[in-house]
Amino acid sequence: MVASKEPSVLLSHLHRADGSATFSQNGYTVIGAVNGPIEVPRRHELPEEAVIEVLVRPAAGVGGTRERHLESILHSTLRQIILVHNFPRHLIQVTLQITNTPENKNTGSKVVQAGSHLAILPALLQTAVLALLSASMPLATILTSVSIAIHADGKSRKLITHPSLKEFESASSVHIMAFTSHGEPLVVESQGTFTLEDWEEVFETVKALCHAEHNRIDDNAMQGVDGKGNMLEFVKSAMGEKVAQDLHWHT
Amino acid sequence: MPREVEPSVNERQFFEKALAENLRLDGRAFDQFRDLELSFGDEFGVADVRLGKTRIHTNISAEVTTPYPDKPFDGLFTITTELSPMTSPHYETSRPSDPEILLSRILEKNLRRSQALDTESLCLIAGHKVWSVRADVHILSHDGNLIDASCISVLAALQHFRKPDTSSEGENVTVYTLEERDPVPLSLLHFPYCVTFSFYPSTVEEGETVILLDSTLLEEQLREGSATIGINKDGELCQIAKLGGISVDAVAFLGCVQVALARVKEISTFVIKRLAEDAKKRDKGDLMAELRAENDR
Repeated sequence: MVASKEPSVLLSHLHRADGSATFSQNGYTVIGAVNGPIEVPRRHELPEEAVIEVLVRPAAGVGGTRERHLESILHSTLRQIILVHNFPRHLIQVTLQITNTPENKNTGSKVVQAGSHLAILPALLQTAVLALLSASMPLATILTSVSIAIHADGKSRKLITHPSLKEFESASSVHIMAFTSHGEPLVVESQGTFTLEDWEEVFETVKALCHAEHNRIDDNAMQGVDGKGNMLEFVKSAMGEKVAQDLHWHT
Repeated sequence: MPREVEPSVNERQFFEKALAENLRLDGRAFDQFRDLELSFGDEFGVADVRLGKTRIHTNISAEVTTPYPDKPFDGLFTITTELSPMTSPHYETSRPSDPEILLSRILEKNLRRSQALDTESLCLIAGHKVWSVRADVHILSHDGNLIDASCISVLAALQHFRKPDTSSEGENVTVYTLEERDPVPLSLLHFPYCVTFSFYPSTVEEGETVILLDSTLLEEQLREGSATIGINKDGELCQIAKLGGISVDAVAFLGCVQVALARVKEISTFVIKRLAEDAKKRDKGDLMAELRAENDR
């Protein structure tokens, strides 16, 4: 089964969480729930800002070092976008449950691939942001995230946006970046061998994909990117639809 | 962590008064279940059960390990349940809560000890290599009756799961990938589903009990006692767990078992129907019969 590169989302579908979202892209499906601001245990309390707790749970098995690493990336990222100073001595819980990962050849076995755990990071980041939006958490900005794999072959190199797991593993280097809606970089994770030129090209491509707000037509025409892959547009349209649905009685 | 909000005195009184008038808060009859929804994932062994607002996602995985030295012929079957903060913020991640312990114990009793999954069939080389089947029960949303829903979810996922085909030559075991050989289903001996009853002391008649089926979270919080009956569709009783202090009339309790049996028959047909629908969806071009690696017995 070929996984769709087009993202899809379902918002506010869990009834007891303050905000929730199910996001799928590239064969990954993540269910996210946000609770907060709620009471925080005394030992974790911060006097000046809200505590953010991120929990990543794998589809099979219990979380290990890989999940802790992803949690630490998510934690430092979300701290930047949530207005934590608005909620001193509170807790914001973000739970991300992975429910589907791309099919690999060994059906049913635990998906253990060393080094490839970053592949799910864009899906986790996107789910967390959509769940936060669903919970109406005050945010400084929203972020959008894209992964890119570079297949370098001698002198020629090929950039693949939203690589599949196979493309991800066979790539010479992979890059995961997240940008705010103002076009500022938030997360930059790279893996593999690459040159500075490679990296700069990736940076510009992802920026165009994530952001491309003003002068969109010019930018896209220049870089050959169609508006369809734009993640920011996707988040906006998903939220727009949700609000329209919630306010259907209004018209 | 904040504590779970207990129902207020008003809620309690309103509920009791409704019960006295033979009403439930959501308008169901006392023995009526909420709508059951079951869907399967793209991968084998993924089942998503919705019972009203309760939602359970089960993922089955298998890997080859060494068996326990005292049981060299038995494969391993483990069920893990964890109530995450996704369900409700008062569940802590590190410490198992009471409902969680209860849930895992009942699932253990109902599915593992009743030998629903034939663990001997998971043996590859006695004493050296066996399959270890693991069921991860993810509770996404909790609105009462977790036990029944998880039980359906695990059994449906087990029926949906296919483990890779293997062949053994002396001490060497070859595990074939999906492309090489079509995976084989697990050997399941019977399907014991759970049905939970909630008991309330009657306010109309002294000493009588009101029995509710498929209770919501509020009804669960207000109940005086409960009984979980695990039974398969052939009427073989696998386990009974009666919790809470309230005493229940023996005849009424036997009646519960009959109700459970009728309900389990319904669930079984429903799950089989959904499995058949899913198999049809996967069976592109009617090739499945030829590709199958298992023998007809």
